Amino acid sequence: MSALLRQRLFQYGVVVPFAILLAFPFFWMAVTSLKPQGEVYDLSKTWRFSPTLENYGYLFHHTGYVRWIRNSTLVGLAVVLITLLVAVPAGYALARLSGRFGRSLGVAIFLTYLVPPTLLFLPLSRVVSKIGLEDRLWALILVYPSFTIPFAIWLLMGFFKSIPQELEDAALIDGCSRFGALVRIVFPISAPGILTVVIFTFSLVVNEFVYAITFITSSTNRTLTVGVPTDLIRGDLYNWPGIMAAVLIPSIPMALVYNAFLNRFITGFTGGAFR
Amino acid sequence: MTDTRDEPAPAESFLSRREFLKKAGAGAAAIGVAGAAAPFSFAGPLNYKGRWLSGNLSLLTWVHFVPSYDQWLDPWVKAWGEKNDVQVNIEHINNALLDTRAAAEVAAQSGHDLFFNLHPMAVYEDQVINHAPVIQEVEKKVGKYMPIAQSSTFNPKTKKYFAVSDSYVPDPVVWRHDLWNAVGESPATWDHVKAAGPKLKAMGHPIGIGQSQEIDSNMALIAFMMCFGSFIQNEENRPTLLSKNTVDAVNFMAEIAKTGETNDVFSWNGNAAANNNYLYSGTGSLIFNAISATRTPESGAAGGQYADDLWIWPIPAGPHGRIGLEHLMGCWSIWKFAQNKPAAQRFLADLCIAGKDATIQSQLYNFPTFANAMPFKDIRKVAAADQHKPKGKYSILTTIAEKYTHNIGYPGTTNAAVDEIFQKYLIPQMFAQVSQGKVSAQDSVRHTNTAIKDIYAKWRKRNML
Repeated sequence: MSALLRQRLFQYGVVVPFAILLAFPFFWMAVTSLKPQGEVYDLSKTWRFSPTLENYGYLFHHTGYVRWIRNSTLVGLAVVLITLLVAVPAGYALARLSGRFGRSLGVAIFLTYLVPPTLLFLPLSRVVSKIGLEDRLWALILVYPSFTIPFAIWLLMGFFKSIPQELEDAALIDGCSRFGALVRIVFPISAPGILTVVIFTFSLVVNEFVYAITFITSSTNRTLTVGVPTDLIRGDLYNWPGIMAAVLIPSIPMALVYNAFLNRFITGFTGGAFR
Repeated sequence: MTDTRDEPAPAESFLSRREFLKKAGAGAAAIGVAGAAAPFSFAGPLNYKGRWLSGNLSLLTWVHFVPSYDQWLDPWVKAWGEKNDVQVNIEHINNALLDTRAAAEVAAQSGHDLFFNLHPMAVYEDQVINHAPVIQEVEKKVGKYMPIAQSSTFNPKTKKYFAVSDSYVPDPVVWRHDLWNAVGESPATWDHVKAAGPKLKAMGHPIGIGQSQEIDSNMALIAFMMCFGSFIQNEENRPTLLSKNTVDAVNFMAEIAKTGETNDVFSWNGNAAANNNYLYSGTGSLIFNAISATRTPESGAAGGQYADDLWIWPIPAGPHGRIGLEHLMGCWSIWKFAQNKPAAQRFLADLCIAGKDATIQSQLYNFPTFANAMPFKDIRKVAAADQHKPKGKYSILTTIAEKYTHNIGYPGTTNAAVDEIFQKYLIPQMFAQVSQGKVSAQDSVRHTNTAIKDIYAKWRKRNML
């Protein structure tokens, strides 16, 4: 057996079981979403069932599923925008301009990310109520950056630090202003980091549950994370096929985006790791 | 109670021709001015024909375990709104999220006018109005507020009704007759349960009495304790957990858990439907639950392959007798910060008065809390007529409700301390620690008793006990 073959066998021997392990939940979701509700609890029909698309039909025609997706997307995009507007300049400033104080401040900002929503939702309820945003998507758009911005700043700080200062200095010598150097030199190089922030922020927002259940009550304003457990769990009866279909649908585009930008995503996360 | 009738008083309904012309002219002028100033005022039809009283009412309730109840409730709410000229908005959320929402609404001092929960929210007594007028109003129509509801929603110290219970749910033991029959046992007493456990587990069908942080574990274990003469408090609402009876009960349940159950019972945190699903999957052989655990399989929605073998019985008898708890106590509260308290009170009264419809539409899941809304003898007739197999299996439900169903905190009343103990799941933790072999029963009971005494001291200091 050649060395190359042995190497390939080893690589596939590691990767294939790992890939199966990771892909299995998606496979199980897809299978369950095609089962009739009555067959979910029947162990004899784990694999031999009558496939149906009625669960998808139920989702689109008898629940507010499309609205939940729209609300989640809307909130996600708005929060991504706000996060970028704040975190990019803040991350750059903390990385470049503030020295040791900036580093300490960066760590302090990141620590705020670690305060769990289960503690914060009570005081934030008061805030949201006082400014009259109860049961509005604006409440989420306002609150979510409180945990996305600290993380994004911390991530971008590490990334900006990995960009050599000399590149900016060269731009400044060539007549660029600091802002010009930022836009023309730093941002293009930082694309993987910014992309990571976009994907990660969007994922965090779409998956968030505690604030969404606390600040939103009407069914018209529900996001995906609240709509699914509210409308697809009827007391003790879990509409497993419906739940699986509801979760599978948004996970496919998310998985595709992750895949498409995988290399940049990894670069973004590890950008500040090696200097 | 505020009068919210929509019929004008007789004296107001007759106008002379002169008065009519005057009022019509003034009305036309007002409409013209308002219309000019606010172009969208008349952009669409009014929501309800003949609406002449203003007011919105917002309600938050759970997604009922028996879907037919919500199918009845939502149109009923809409019809009530039309009849009373109130724009009613009802929201349903998953039962596990009710406490979180309540905490958020109290923190924000804003939210729904009427809040439903599955247990009396005694800890929020200061945040709600005194509901006595509603209860008095309903009692005039459908008889006495039943003792279980009185004990659950009335604070004898402050003389305040901190909620109105429109219904309670009996808590039978639900068991697979085919499996128990195969091992020659039945869950008549706790000794029988302990004896059958290992045999059922060996067959691959363990017992499913939860020891997790969820409501069903709470109810089952507190009721189990009472069968052993162990009570959280006495008639005077003083803590009494620290006793030999409690230690015996904890040891007994640990034995059942070790020999007749699997670790599944420790993993149902936050999911009150987990034990139901344990049964529906064909694994569990006995759970403590409301009759949704039999109704769901009967409907075929959960497969239904075991529906005919599911029997319901009263709680097994222990050394101290057969003392059970309600499974759920349906309680409505009107916040002090509610925007439309008169409408909320009227709505609540009318909902309680409609207790018979609610009981029937819930397929006997809900039992009314006012004695004559649907008397026990009427419920028994409906239960006996149920055609699901084995025929007559629901007849016992009325006996369970009448004889073996008590409030949380029995023999005292449900109060803020009991509610906090309940919401912190101290009792399931006390059992689980021992069943998992982490501490001895004596230590577990002693630690829990210390925590409980602190809770009682806290609420006593606030004059709530």
